[in-house]
Amino acid sequence: MHALLMAPFETLGFMRTALVACAALALANGAIGTLLVLRRMSLNGDVLGHAVMPGAAIGFLYGGSSAGWLSLGGLVSGLAVAVLGGLVGSGRARDDVGLVAFYLVALSLGVVLITWRGSNVDAMRVLFGTVLAIDYRALIQIAVVSSVVVLAVAALYRPFTVAAVDPAFLRTVSPLLPYQMMFVVLVVLVLVASFQAFGTLLALGPMLLPAAAASLWSLGVAASIALAVLLGLVASLTGLLISYHGNLPSGPAIVLAAGLLFIMSHALRSAIKLVRGHA
Amino acid sequence: MVQARDNREAGPIVLHEVTVRYGLQVALERVSGQFPPASLTAVVGANGAGKSTLLAAIAGGLRLAGGSVQRPIGGLLGFLPQRAAVDTSYPVTVAELVALGGWRQFGAFRAIPASVRARATEAAAIVGLHGNLERRIGALSTGELQRALFARLILEDPAAILLDEPFAAVDAQTTTVLMDQLIRWYRDGRTLIVVLHDLALVRAWFPTTVVLARRCLFWGPTESALRVLAT
Repeated sequence: MHALLMAPFETLGFMRTALVACAALALANGAIGTLLVLRRMSLNGDVLGHAVMPGAAIGFLYGGSSAGWLSLGGLVSGLAVAVLGGLVGSGRARDDVGLVAFYLVALSLGVVLITWRGSNVDAMRVLFGTVLAIDYRALIQIAVVSSVVVLAVAALYRPFTVAAVDPAFLRTVSPLLPYQMMFVVLVVLVLVASFQAFGTLLALGPMLLPAAAASLWSLGVAASIALAVLLGLVASLTGLLISYHGNLPSGPAIVLAAGLLFIMSHALRSAIKLVRGHA
Repeated sequence: MVQARDNREAGPIVLHEVTVRYGLQVALERVSGQFPPASLTAVVGANGAGKSTLLAAIAGGLRLAGGSVQRPIGGLLGFLPQRAAVDTSYPVTVAELVALGGWRQFGAFRAIPASVRARATEAAAIVGLHGNLERRIGALSTGELQRALFARLILEDPAAILLDEPFAAVDAQTTTVLMDQLIRWYRDGRTLIVVLHDLALVRAWFPTTVVLARRCLFWGPTESALRVLAT
């Protein structure tokens, strides 16, 4: 048991670092992911996830695979898309062909830019992340971003809620502050912090899957966030252990574990409904 | 909690040649007139006559293509848009929704004071939602949701209130309860502008009526307005 669960973290520093990074990300992802799911903005998250890609690629051209340059590039292009794409304004029904076109272009452009100067390995790293290669500086960066995001969500909890429930009302009582914009900025921040670990393709996984699993239980917002964080932590731990023992890529393993939790949550929920229906 | 207000100092809401376009389409053309303080006005007209546009223009959420809207200085304006675009799937309770009406007392960050919670409970009772405070808004019927939004307006305590089709898809009993609240607001000395389809209600309760068909066809006593409509 000990060898199975504890030994990898005791003996290997990079496993410990990865676990701490995932835990920090789980906190921010739980909060932001829950709000995204409740606002039915998952697709926007997906678009933003891809929007990070071309910027990260340009960052790579400048600074190689240093986490700082990749993040800065990703942050800039993510924010640019958030602002330009009108994601900020409506938040609802949009042209889905446009969105699909956008992220195909963003993805291809990113891959082309990276392989132009780098290798396929570099492209893979940007696409799928490298949880196990997170160094001390990257860990600090992730911890700082996660803390800032969690604090910001706590502080802006009420306006975010009202912006989701009744945006017209929020405009009448508080017309000056662009809360919608602030929310999208937080989403981009988390995605950028997350993409060193999970890559631009998978960064949305640890954000949405635990939150989606938690939201099935129709709890209040705070309880839903807490459950999402818990599920995120469980998925991180399980995923890391699976990747260690099975010699599998760790980012995808964590996302898979989160996906399994979502399916289990769904099945359990359906089973309970079925039993209650018969009782 | 209901105190008579004196809005006469606040002054009327004055429209001057208000014109609104959506792209090339003219939604409102050179509408002029004024809503005096402490007045109750119905806005009627066919679909697409610009009724909702008029309210949005008064509320200030629209860019005017021409003309101007003069709002009373300092007077708060409460606006309930049509089928208020409330996302009822979001896990929020009736008590939380109603308490938001006191936003100006607590703003975005401070805790909601006990006094506001008490007023929210009171307002919910006025619209017949007592005992429903802890229900999620997603579990409410259209009528109950409308009652909750009226309770929130009671807390907002605005000097002028704009309502867009407040009784659409709402049951008869709710209409009675909400119409009573409308009259109470009016007697309090607030300015009310209400878009309505139900001409029987207009005839029964509204002293003044505006008839719209992109342009203003009539603005005056309800009796004459209904005669204009009939022709």
